[in-house]
Amino acid sequence: MLTLVFVLVFNFFLFRVVQTDPVGSLFRGRNIPQERLDELREEFGLDEPMLTQFGLYLRETAQLNFGYSYQSRQDVWGEISERIPPTVILVGVSAVLSAVIGTLGGVIAAWRRNSWKDHSITSGTMVFYSMPDFWLGMVLLVLFAVVLGWFPVGGMVAAGSGETGVSRLLDQLHHLFLPTLTLTLAYLGEYTLVTRSSLLDVMGEDYLTVARAKGLRDVVVRNRHAVPNALLPVVTLTAINFGFVLSGAIAVEAVFSWPGLGKATADAIRGPDLPMLQGLFLLFSAAVIFFNLVADLTYSWLDPRVEEA
Amino acid sequence: MSIAMKRRRATAGRVRRQFRQSRLGMVGLTVLGVFILMALAAPLLVDATELNPVRARQAGNPQWASPSEFSPLGTDHLRRSVWAQFVWGSRVSLFVGLAATVLTILVGSVVGIVSGFVGGRLDGFLMRITEWFLVIPFLPLAIVLASVLGRSVWNIIFVIGITSWPSTARLVRAQVLTVKQRLFVDRARSLGASGPHIVGHHILPNVSGLILANATLAVPISILTETTLSFLGLGDPSAASWGRTLEEAFVNGAMTRNAWWYFLPAGFGILAVVLAFTLIGRTLEEIANPRLSGR
Amino acid sequence: MSEPLLSVRDLSITYHTSGGPVPAVRGVSFDLEKGGSLGLAGESGCGKSTLANSLLRLLPPDTDVTGSITLDGKDVLTLSPGGLRAVRWTAGAIVFQGALHALNPVQTVGQQIAEPMLVHNTAPNEKDARARTVDLLGRVGLSAARVDSYPHQLSGGQRQRVLIAMALACDPRLLIADEPTTALDLMVQAQVLALLDDLKQERDLTLMFITHDLSVLTYACRQLAVMYAGRIVEEGPSFEVFANASHPYTRALAAAFPTIGDRSSRMAPSGLGGDPPTPGNLPQGCPFHPRCPLAHDACLPEEPGLRVAGAGRAAACVLV
Repeated sequence: MLTLVFVLVFNFFLFRVVQTDPVGSLFRGRNIPQERLDELREEFGLDEPMLTQFGLYLRETAQLNFGYSYQSRQDVWGEISERIPPTVILVGVSAVLSAVIGTLGGVIAAWRRNSWKDHSITSGTMVFYSMPDFWLGMVLLVLFAVVLGWFPVGGMVAAGSGETGVSRLLDQLHHLFLPTLTLTLAYLGEYTLVTRSSLLDVMGEDYLTVARAKGLRDVVVRNRHAVPNALLPVVTLTAINFGFVLSGAIAVEAVFSWPGLGKATADAIRGPDLPMLQGLFLLFSAAVIFFNLVADLTYSWLDPRVEEA
Repeated sequence: MSIAMKRRRATAGRVRRQFRQSRLGMVGLTVLGVFILMALAAPLLVDATELNPVRARQAGNPQWASPSEFSPLGTDHLRRSVWAQFVWGSRVSLFVGLAATVLTILVGSVVGIVSGFVGGRLDGFLMRITEWFLVIPFLPLAIVLASVLGRSVWNIIFVIGITSWPSTARLVRAQVLTVKQRLFVDRARSLGASGPHIVGHHILPNVSGLILANATLAVPISILTETTLSFLGLGDPSAASWGRTLEEAFVNGAMTRNAWWYFLPAGFGILAVVLAFTLIGRTLEEIANPRLSGR
Repeated sequence: MSEPLLSVRDLSITYHTSGGPVPAVRGVSFDLEKGGSLGLAGESGCGKSTLANSLLRLLPPDTDVTGSITLDGKDVLTLSPGGLRAVRWTAGAIVFQGALHALNPVQTVGQQIAEPMLVHNTAPNEKDARARTVDLLGRVGLSAARVDSYPHQLSGGQRQRVLIAMALACDPRLLIADEPTTALDLMVQAQVLALLDDLKQERDLTLMFITHDLSVLTYACRQLAVMYAGRIVEEGPSFEVFANASHPYTRALAAAFPTIGDRSSRMAPSGLGGDPPTPGNLPQGCPFHPRCPLAHDACLPEEPGLRVAGAGRAAACVLV
């Protein structure tokens, strides 16, 4: 909770430091008479002392009033809220896929440690993890959309197609495929590595020998005894990642012109559209804080050794 | 003193030997060596003027030429040689990556050591700050700072350092706490050794291995962050890194033209260097903690 | 003379480690009659836990195991995987040491006790298994409420009892107790020993007891075998061996642990100097001679085999 306060304060001061004249920037390039500008400054409270401005800022934030975008002249929160669903879809699907596939890979790699399966899984994911995620997107885009033409080149739906219902959904899925593939491949590695080392730790434990001694099959020992213990840190990681991946998709969304928060950020940078950036930053931070909380709660619910405070 | 020196030299020798035995580690080291050489020898390999679009036009270079038309790596929309950009881009990417990591490690280690060694309220305070930084999403913070500070190489280095130091600080602090618990630190204290002496002679040697391994693994993060920041348009216009190359390729439609020669090399360069550092870092980790590899 | 329940012949076990092959057990043979009780004593590293684990083939897959182990008429070392799994826990079960690590932290105690019942079908369904689990818990002196407890919620002594209950889940014929009283305080030790004794009588169990504490064995077991450097160096009826050891090592071991109730032995503890030999690096001749107070020239060059040292007794020492 305290963190949220820090974030708000930080956000405020950072942008105030830069925005020497927010009103002027807002209307840059337009011919507005000086008196009107002064009026606006008064309206926005810019001639007030810093503390009052901060109070104003807090109140506005609570009301989700983030000002107006320099580029679109629209209400910042309006712009942002429009972009939330596409990003949630893209990031959500990718996060789930990379968590599931990555964890599975990690389990296999650890259980068959030092086998060719282990080596190929570990090195494969390491290679993907070592490349810039958006570059992977570029390569996939050129290969599958430009050269092979199997997938669209960008966007979320075919522009102006006017399709509805199932065909629209299919079209969206068609557009969703490449960016999701990119994000999933790029972030698999983390899950694989963490699951693998967690499972390796668990594999040294005595209770696995006990399970074998009881006459259980190897696979049952693995799935019923080893994996649940190994998954505890992975679950925490997944929940925390949901928060971070939200902001991690910025460059990838830009590459695929995916109309989400990431692309909005990329566009805002080119302004620089400071009110937008400010609003987006707050949103990203809030998401991370929220998911960290979720992670903590999930862990304490899953691990019987954690006593509820 | 000489006993400790001898021991330290023996450890360094052992590390070197074990490293040489690791095939992956040596591969990483070799690849890295090649790229560093290339970066350092850039002026010898390619004349810097080839990066100048005016000169490129004067030289009559074709536009968007593929490697088969204009060796070795073709040209871009401004008729500049892609190979030239690749060679010179490596300098910026590597430099920023290393410099940012140095900053990260310096700040992180100092905070970690001070926090762990001094303990008490200072520790609590520093850890609060560290945790706060860890919660803030990394990339948005970097973007915000970079947007606010302006586009220059030093700003980028600063931004990356500022956003990455917390995890190093946490690791170092944990290690310092472990070392602190060991008896010999107490003995040194009872012998009347001063704080700085203990830190220098006892804590630092036991923490430096961890710091080194952490640093090697932090460089990839710095490089990738710089690449992403440059791609989004926050890079230094006068110091074009590989990330910048990717940005220019993207913005100028290299993808729709299928001008693969423009964006593939830079990406491969990053991939290779990052992989090299990762391999080296993991090999070092395994040497320090043998449990990770064998039985 | 009916067949022994457990018959081990010439068992040798060699681990493969990164530092080379390690011979943990070198040519061990013994028999265990139905309803009998055998104690296996020795310092850590002598190979006794390895031996115990080998009886159910629980060693790492790349370990070399030669010789024969016959349990309840079946040759354990040549059983198929399916056959082996059927034998585990039903013919023989192990009460492991280190109770906290032997229990799965994220499962309740009840689940872990009931599990083998369901695997081996000794309980027809979950409800029945649970009922039997509660029964077993009661039998080992724990309240029925414990069935839904997690391992970390129990004390060391309670966890040890859980392990005993778990081992009895499928009514095994042979119960192998691997250091069940180590790391427990004396009061709890006595309780656990009494419990094992009761259970043995009541269920006609055959018991194999492994520990480094010789005095415990004399109370719990009729027969005793002392291991050193992977071999049995003395065997015989436990009271006799303890009171009048033939092998110098046994003598030293017996003197090292005060007999409960004997004040004079507490006043004069004798520890053995030196360390037990590392399995890959055994001394020439008798492996004990570097630490033996009676060592002389005849102890080298060959390792002495087991020699008869009285009725039903044997010791591996040249002085016998």
